[in-house]
Amino acid sequence: MTRLARAALLALLVAVMAYPLAWMIAISLKTADGLSLRYYGEVWRAGPFDRYFINSLVVAIVVLAGNIVCCTMAGYAFARFRIRGGKLLFLLVLSTIMLPKQVILVPLYILMQKMGLIDTYWALTLPFLVDPFNIFLIRQYVSTLPTDCEEAARIDGAGEFTILFRIVFPMLKPVLAVVAIHTCLTNWNSFLFPFILTHSASMRTLPVGLAMLSQGAHSIDWGHLMAGAVISALPVVAAFLVFQRRIIGGLTAGISK
Amino acid sequence: MASRRFVPSPVAWFLLPWAAVYAAFFVFPFVFSFVLAFLDYNPLNVANTRLVGFDNFARLFKDPAFHGALRNTLVFVIGTVPVTTALALALASLMRGKIPLKGAFKAALFLPSILSVVVIALLFKLFYAPGGALNELLARFGIEGHGWLTDPRTALPAIMAMDVWAAIGYYAIVLDAARTSIPDSLYEAAELEGAGAWATFRHVTFPLLKPAIAFVLVINTIRSFQVFIEVLVMTQGGPLGSTNTLVMYLYDTAFRRLDYGYASVIAYAVFLLSGIFSIVAMRRLRPESAVEGARPL
Repeated sequence: MTRLARAALLALLVAVMAYPLAWMIAISLKTADGLSLRYYGEVWRAGPFDRYFINSLVVAIVVLAGNIVCCTMAGYAFARFRIRGGKLLFLLVLSTIMLPKQVILVPLYILMQKMGLIDTYWALTLPFLVDPFNIFLIRQYVSTLPTDCEEAARIDGAGEFTILFRIVFPMLKPVLAVVAIHTCLTNWNSFLFPFILTHSASMRTLPVGLAMLSQGAHSIDWGHLMAGAVISALPVVAAFLVFQRRIIGGLTAGISK
Repeated sequence: MASRRFVPSPVAWFLLPWAAVYAAFFVFPFVFSFVLAFLDYNPLNVANTRLVGFDNFARLFKDPAFHGALRNTLVFVIGTVPVTTALALALASLMRGKIPLKGAFKAALFLPSILSVVVIALLFKLFYAPGGALNELLARFGIEGHGWLTDPRTALPAIMAMDVWAAIGYYAIVLDAARTSIPDSLYEAAELEGAGAWATFRHVTFPLLKPAIAFVLVINTIRSFQVFIEVLVMTQGGPLGSTNTLVMYLYDTAFRRLDYGYASVIAYAVFLLSGIFSIVAMRRLRPESAVEGARPL
């Protein structure tokens, strides 16, 4: 097939795939008195979506900060130091990447309940502060860096923390970008655990709030539902349009190496 | 490596945050759920908690609802994963080389995979509804509408079709990224030999992409075994249990019927089923692997 024919075929397929999304936007904009953003305003207040938004944002920032700091420390340690049982520990990290998290759903709920943390930011952030996948990514990246600077600093008497956060950390920018993209996206779209670990509307994150909206009084109210869906998708779509290359690269990291 | 030093004390501190979170929020619940599996534990009646041995496991084997959920989940996995992979492969093949608007196509294909599953499920719940876009579209061709999600025969296939829609873009991009490692000279050679599109695919693209395809199959299988949010939002497992999946049943058992002990056994069933595939995937995640880094969304 020629390049042009392949492009035409792709365009057709993409159009078919985009149809449901276009339909969603159309439904959210079509009101009784023509095209308007009325549903958006109404659903924003009814949600309350401003609250969901703030919750999602707080959780995303805390979880991102936790992952950047904790995973850098762990990934660096796994890459650079010979630790007794280190291989086994790293195998543990790897094994938790792929395991289905549903196994701990019930016990984690009971644990949070006993600690009185259901319906708090603690429940939404603490278990997610260290994503093993990020440790894996950082470990792999650190292993590819030369050790000269670290050695020189060590000879100059710098402490290990200083070496990590002053010297190594700035060199980690590329992998930390991947970590940030992956962490923010996973967290922003996370549903199962926030759904189980919150009870009140005021603690819901965006996906949970949206799902609840679809079961409540608005369930037959298509315009409002789709407006809510567009609102919760908007931040990621906006980020995607700005950082497209980085995001696609980040989420398919390392594949073509 | 010569630069590696033998356990200086800060290393323990470096690993501490991970170890603490891991121990408290993974290892402990993991062990706890194993204990739960042997208990009759109802949170509303904790005083009556008792050890029931293997009763919960035995229930699994004669519980028709579990068998239905297992069957539906297997149908879902077997019905979506190969289709998604084949379509993703076809899309990736179309994207080969310098084609016009490639960046835009990639972005459009990738878009569904950054959206929350809740958004997608909600959208398709309305899309499939009696007055929804699908029936509207079919009506234009004179085909009678259908309650896709309310008919037990079509509800599961409808959710499966949605899953394929949502997943092919991501896997197409993954396979496209893997394909960039195939040298152009091979394609030029194939062209010189007069190979058609199919022959080129069969003898050049496919053999060289095999590791990436295997990886995509595995991560998609693991992800698909856990299908839940779509079902919760769209059908709640109905009609007549026709879309009840393992994790949906797990959720129902734990949080609606408050049967924590039995729910833990179901959780272990999911764990074992996708665990088999996890082990395969982990082997490919080894540091020297060429496909490191990709993970199911």
